[in-house]
Amino acid sequence: MSLAAEAFVSQIAAAEPWPENATLYQPLKEDQILLSDSASSLAVQTFLRMCGLPVLVSCRANAEYMSPSGKVPFIHVGNQVVSELGPIVQFTKAKGHALSDGLDDVQRAEMKAYMELVNNMLLTAELYIQWCDDYTATEISRPRYSNPYSWPLNHVLAYQKQWEIRRKMNAIGWSGKNLEQVYEDVSQCCQALSQRLGTQPYFFNKQPTELDALVFGHLFTILTTQLTSDELAEKVKSYSNLLSFCHRIEQTYFKEHEREGQFGSSRHSKSSLP
Amino acid sequence: MGTVHARSVDSYPMYGRDMGVNTDDMEMMEAVQETKQEVLENKNVVVQHVNIEGLGRTKEDYLGYEISDVFTARNLVEVMRKSHEARQRLLRLGIFKDVEVVIDISEGANALPNGLDVTFEVTELKRLTGSYNTMVGNNEGSMVLGIKLPNIIGRGEKLTFQFSYGTKETSYGMSFFKPQSGYYERNFTLNLYKVTGQFPWSSLKETDRGVSTELSFPLWMTDHTLKWEGVWRELGCLARSASFAVREESGHTLKSALSHTMVVDTRNSAILPQRGALLRLNQELAGYTGGDASFLKEDVELQLNKPFIWGSVLSASLWGGMLFPLGRQPSSIADRFYLGGPTSVRGFGMYSIGPQSEGDYLGGEAYWAGGLHLYTPLPFRSNKGGLADLFKTHFFLNAGNLCNLNYGEGPRAHLQKLAECIRWSYGAGIMLRLGNIARLELNYCFPMGVQSGDRICDGVQFGAGIRFL
Repeated sequence: MSLAAEAFVSQIAAAEPWPENATLYQPLKEDQILLSDSASSLAVQTFLRMCGLPVLVSCRANAEYMSPSGKVPFIHVGNQVVSELGPIVQFTKAKGHALSDGLDDVQRAEMKAYMELVNNMLLTAELYIQWCDDYTATEISRPRYSNPYSWPLNHVLAYQKQWEIRRKMNAIGWSGKNLEQVYEDVSQCCQALSQRLGTQPYFFNKQPTELDALVFGHLFTILTTQLTSDELAEKVKSYSNLLSFCHRIEQTYFKEHEREGQFGSSRHSKSSLP
Repeated sequence: MGTVHARSVDSYPMYGRDMGVNTDDMEMMEAVQETKQEVLENKNVVVQHVNIEGLGRTKEDYLGYEISDVFTARNLVEVMRKSHEARQRLLRLGIFKDVEVVIDISEGANALPNGLDVTFEVTELKRLTGSYNTMVGNNEGSMVLGIKLPNIIGRGEKLTFQFSYGTKETSYGMSFFKPQSGYYERNFTLNLYKVTGQFPWSSLKETDRGVSTELSFPLWMTDHTLKWEGVWRELGCLARSASFAVREESGHTLKSALSHTMVVDTRNSAILPQRGALLRLNQELAGYTGGDASFLKEDVELQLNKPFIWGSVLSASLWGGMLFPLGRQPSSIADRFYLGGPTSVRGFGMYSIGPQSEGDYLGGEAYWAGGLHLYTPLPFRSNKGGLADLFKTHFFLNAGNLCNLNYGEGPRAHLQKLAECIRWSYGAGIMLRLGNIARLELNYCFPMGVQSGDRICDGVQFGAGIRFL
């Protein structure tokens, strides 16, 4: 589709109200989804809840391939398909639902910078631990990723994914790092977030933004997911204001709606915060 | 045999093949001159030796079956006829560039007075042949490299590689073919491939990587093929605007299927036949040997041809098929049937009949299609032969239907479903035969019974293909 056509379609989309049957697609919650995808999916769900936009969550084994960008989660709204948090934020904005409208230009730039930090550090660290740590890859990532597929396709797809991520790590210079260095990066990232948050309820004081959704998505998933070692969760736990931030968002946006169900519980996860 | 063999090997590079054959030919002529009188008196001859000259890598035992019949000849006419048949059999193996027959009287200590020696002088195909093509079409250019290794081990085995490097997609194929010694029609094929297809009528892109083994054999009047195929299929949307129904089918699946095909073909030509019938029955069972897809698929094709007045031919064909999903899973978009287009129900868009979603055709689990044709030679034709023989005019009447069945209902309900909303069309056109493999058609069509969602092609429609309704 040409840019003009795409712009036209988004104009049309803006005119339509948010439908009741908007659906979010993600991999199978019980047997398939991995930490990084689970975190991204939770971030999008949190963002939509913050906006007050209802969305049904549908788990599909082929969610990754259904997505137009090849990444999960994606939402199907009307006849539009939008994937990943950034484009989804743009899309809801076109429909008149935005969280960051109250921010000035400086704050908005700061918010974008912190979102980049989370994507570059936390998400990359999650991918590194999943696919570049051989023990985690063998014990958790490959078996779970390939769970819906039959032999020999399961091995082919899992190794293909692992190579793809490792190539990406090579390109960004992470392949030389060891696990300790990655944990250290996560710790630094958390420290930066913790300092920015301070004692405020949200990153930009009273008003939640997409940054809050993104940080909650990652931290909550890290805290509640059982990996081969607890070290990643321990790094996050040492920042008490981040812990209470996660508690607060969970209480406000999830516990009030329904106690169990929409998110967070996978086979190897602890059901609530420590 | 061994000595003859050795002689031929060193004589070829020295004098060249043609020289050798010419001298032998002259000898043969003399021999025939001498014995001719006796043969006409029905005097028996005995074929004492049958030699094959010019063999390099071909194993002699492989050819023994093909030429042994020559020994049974009892007079010269029979010797010539059987030698000719043996020559045809040798050429059919696809391992020789040329085969010549030399019949000579026997010489040497054991030679009988009425003994004959038959010598087949063969020229083997090169060990390796290559081809290089460029193809342009569908907004895509590609370069195709082909390598063929005929008779690689010496008993008719053939190994072929094809590699296509395109601006959008790369595909390759490798196939190994092995006939049974002495029974060429009974053969085994092993294929390894990756192919990519784009189906704009469904906004679908499919990449298949697979392996298949095939066993072909004739049985009485019929030809059978047993096949196992394991394919890793990757489906994706052709464009971002693809319908969600197609998007839902995206991803990887594994299909492992056993299939059986039976063909009876008595037609005099595969393209534009004058007489004869074709029956093709195909059945596929997927899922029994593993994989994600499980279904049973039946497909039948029937064609009858009959000469009619003034050199015209009347032809009727009927296609039908059904797909039964086994287990809980619904059938995949890649397995269902499609109908419509210039090669099936004319007057409708390519595969643009039946269930669809937002303009993307999803295919159906059951279909039938029938066609009635009257082929006539071009009018105002001055003489027989020449270019005009490649053209024919035809009048056609096509009908068909494609739908999904609810398998909970009985066969009565199925028949009713297939009988309602029938699409049909009629028209006339001219067609061109391309060799004996393909044909082109230019038709003027009147589509009828159009249902909402069907894409039609009212008026002139151009078609090219190898299989026609």
